[in-house]
Amino acid sequence: MPTVTGLRATAEALAAIFWKGLKHYTRYPGGFVLYLVMPFLFTLLIFGMGQFVGGSEAALNFAARTGTTNILVYEILGSAVWMTSWVVVEDVGVALRDEQIKGTLEQNFLAPVNRFTLLIGLSLTDIVITTTLFFAVVGVTVMVTMPGSFFNIMQAFLTLLVGLIPLFGIGFLFAGFVVRFKEPYVFTQILNLIFATLTGTYYPVTFLPYWIQLLSGILPQTYVIDSMRKIVLANQTLVNLYGSLFILLALALAYPTLGYAVFKQLEKKATVTGEFSKY
Amino acid sequence: MNPVEVQSLSKVFETKEGPLFRKVPKSVVAVDGITFSVPKGEIFGLLGPNGAGKTTTIKMLCTLISPTSGDALVNGYGVTKDPQKVRENLGVMLTGERTLYWKLTGRENLEYFAALYHLDSSHMKKRIAELLDMLGLKDRENMLVENYSTGMRIRLSFAKALMNDAPVLLFDEPTASLDPQSSRLIRDIIRDLKRKGHAIILTTHNMEEADLLSDRVAIIDHGKIVTLGSPSELKEKVKSSDIIEIEARNLSDRTAHALESFSEVSKVAISSQDPPGEKGMLKVHAEKGKEVLSKILEFLVRKEVTITKVSFIEPTLEDVFIAETGRSLRD
Repeated sequence: MPTVTGLRATAEALAAIFWKGLKHYTRYPGGFVLYLVMPFLFTLLIFGMGQFVGGSEAALNFAARTGTTNILVYEILGSAVWMTSWVVVEDVGVALRDEQIKGTLEQNFLAPVNRFTLLIGLSLTDIVITTTLFFAVVGVTVMVTMPGSFFNIMQAFLTLLVGLIPLFGIGFLFAGFVVRFKEPYVFTQILNLIFATLTGTYYPVTFLPYWIQLLSGILPQTYVIDSMRKIVLANQTLVNLYGSLFILLALALAYPTLGYAVFKQLEKKATVTGEFSKY
Repeated sequence: MNPVEVQSLSKVFETKEGPLFRKVPKSVVAVDGITFSVPKGEIFGLLGPNGAGKTTTIKMLCTLISPTSGDALVNGYGVTKDPQKVRENLGVMLTGERTLYWKLTGRENLEYFAALYHLDSSHMKKRIAELLDMLGLKDRENMLVENYSTGMRIRLSFAKALMNDAPVLLFDEPTASLDPQSSRLIRDIIRDLKRKGHAIILTTHNMEEADLLSDRVAIIDHGKIVTLGSPSELKEKVKSSDIIEIEARNLSDRTAHALESFSEVSKVAISSQDPPGEKGMLKVHAEKGKEVLSKILEFLVRKEVTITKVSFIEPTLEDVFIAETGRSLRD
């Protein structure tokens, strides 16, 4: 049977994995609806806590500590990045476990497509999902509450795109752990909650203890959330934020490299123990 | 060089057993130094009971499990040294119907896997149409797999294995859970693939299937090949003794194996009974069976076994298995 090689082979395999993922999303739409409403629900929760527990000075304190009075946009930006991170880490990290439970993981691994292509293919679907999520949640909220900020939204979106690369690396890392140790949701859900706490999702990172800020500093979401808030709420541009962008690019190199190396090691171990077919 | 060369292949799984914090390491030998080769145009059957090591062997050949020692070559490529090339040269059907995406249609499943095998898209469409037609799935190609019957899913899984027209084909229990008509269709296709020169390895615990399809059969038990040859050669080996098949109630392992104390009896195997007391089947391999038959029946009656049917039968591959291992394939 004639086959294709090189870039064309990789591109066609990526496209197939991407379409398969997208078809699954459209045929199991519940997950997407959940990702779509959660940023609003979490923002409401935080807003309610501030309003009803913080007392009459809450809004003033918020403005003093965050530099903005637009509580809704401030919180929705944090929520949207958190959800994006949730989608990527959970989807890429858990995807292989899902395949394992479905019984299709071995079928994918039987094919001559390389494992990196498989992981990247899974991530491509997520780029579409998270982009839709971003424009449906952030785009709509900002356009309604701050008309005329289209250019800012596009810059915020670019920041998010750069931030997705290290997040995929974290996803690869967890994909390895999940294939080897199973119990994916223990890993990803604990991690996602830690991310929300450390990355300034609902409050400025600068109020965290110094040693925790060191941890925040190695997480890409911290820079994405901070930059997006500065762009949308303080009218800064990507050019002004070159420091954060530089760190994000460095993390974009480090996390996927580390993630894939760990994945390959744990995958190798799984072929020794016969883990692929175990549920 | 043959398309498949397996040399002293072994797999030992290291596990831990016991309660939490007091787990004891344990080694389980799944495959124990097996050697065989499969030339072009041959169907090679791996026959053995569940847990004999057949699937582990297949999974080592298709690079899903790495061997502990030994090596295997697929079309000249080593499973440990060049797994990517091995995968390019293999078409594999693993057992079970959960090997497909249930939320995709039959056609979408084949298109997806065709891309993972890097098939040229211009040929892919023709190949998919050909396979769907061959396996009687043409009119259901756009139906979600979740709406397929078990037989249709297995046929689609079989089509997937043929997608890349690989020189070496591995089929793990290809007709398990299929109705007789679908089983016949799959067997006919396997024979046709053999005629086209594919080297085919077939694992099964169905002795009739192994007998019908295989040019050579390796009987595998506890990870070792206990005997290897063509079905007729293997059956010829056990023809030196008569095989008496006894259908009876109240058979116990103890009673059955007590028959081995008779000097004329070489092997005895009993099919498991569930629940105990129900009808069971006893196979006795004996020299001069006609002479010893009355002695055997007398003994069984004395042990309160109710005999419902006695016959002398032609040897099957199961009898070869019994002769080699002293156990029934169904044990």
